[in-house]
Amino acid sequence: MTTRSTPERLDEAVDSLLAGERPLIEPQLRPLLEAAATLSRALRPVPAGARFEAQLAERLAAGRVRRATEGIAAFTRRELTRPGRLLAAGAFSSVAVGATVTAYAVWRSSRRHPHRALGR
Amino acid sequence: MTSEPRRVEPAAERLPGDPDLAAVRAAQADRAEFARLYRRYLDRVYTYAFYQLGDHHDAEDATERTFLAALAALPGFRDEGSTFRAWLFRIAHNTVANAHRTRARRRWQPFPDGFERPAPDADPAGLVARADEVREVLRALETLPEDRRQVVLLRFSDGLSSAEIGEVLGRSPGAVRVLLHRALRELATRLDR
Repeated sequence: MTTRSTPERLDEAVDSLLAGERPLIEPQLRPLLEAAATLSRALRPVPAGARFEAQLAERLAAGRVRRATEGIAAFTRRELTRPGRLLAAGAFSSVAVGATVTAYAVWRSSRRHPHRALGR
Repeated sequence: MTSEPRRVEPAAERLPGDPDLAAVRAAQADRAEFARLYRRYLDRVYTYAFYQLGDHHDAEDATERTFLAALAALPGFRDEGSTFRAWLFRIAHNTVANAHRTRARRRWQPFPDGFERPAPDADPAGLVARADEVREVLRALETLPEDRRQVVLLRFSDGLSSAEIGEVLGRSPGAVRVLLHRALRELATRLDR
């Protein structure tokens, strides 16, 4: 069985104190726990002002939009530094669109005149 | 100058499950969800900054920097034994340290009288007694070495566990407990009335 050190026992008692309980602790640590209780009372939360809260929320939301815009701008900048890639992408897109339109036209034509498609 | 949290050695003991993990995952997928974490932690980060810097304006500045840095670094947050809370306070800790350095101020400023915003219906006698106690505690804290003061503030004003404070300060949880023990021993002597 392991024996816990004094700092560990004190830490556990502080945990209980902060959880609103009344921890049991040996007499020699009691003054330290009383100091902990005083600290807990004195160092209470200091709420931020409502105006500051609203302003920062706005800035955080603006930061989100800015980041998204920066992402698109960075992508565009990166692509513009490689004109070869742009030309290849453009040519590939044109071929893909042309092939799709032709395939659709052939398919529509075969549906309107099925006898022609059958070779009559 | 950066507020990016530095890597620390993994704590010997793992922190318990992160209660914020679902909200963090949601914010990583959709940054608009960060608002939930912001609302949850605004006052706590502000409290930490205020007790560190001793001034509402400086605390607002540090809080703003902390949340903007956290939002920017959020995609890099990984659930690797640390909690979001410890991660956020590490950013706040670095931001406050930067504020101290860049402004070349005293590390600890005397707090102005009535630094809190009292409730409109607060009892005046109770307010005076509380202000006296707060002043006495802050004076006692001024006498502590920097590392012990940090531990006390994170433990009592923000409610972080020893393991989380270890993550924030780059110490082991055991070292944090020893610092807390020494700090409370010193404070018990000074606050003894």
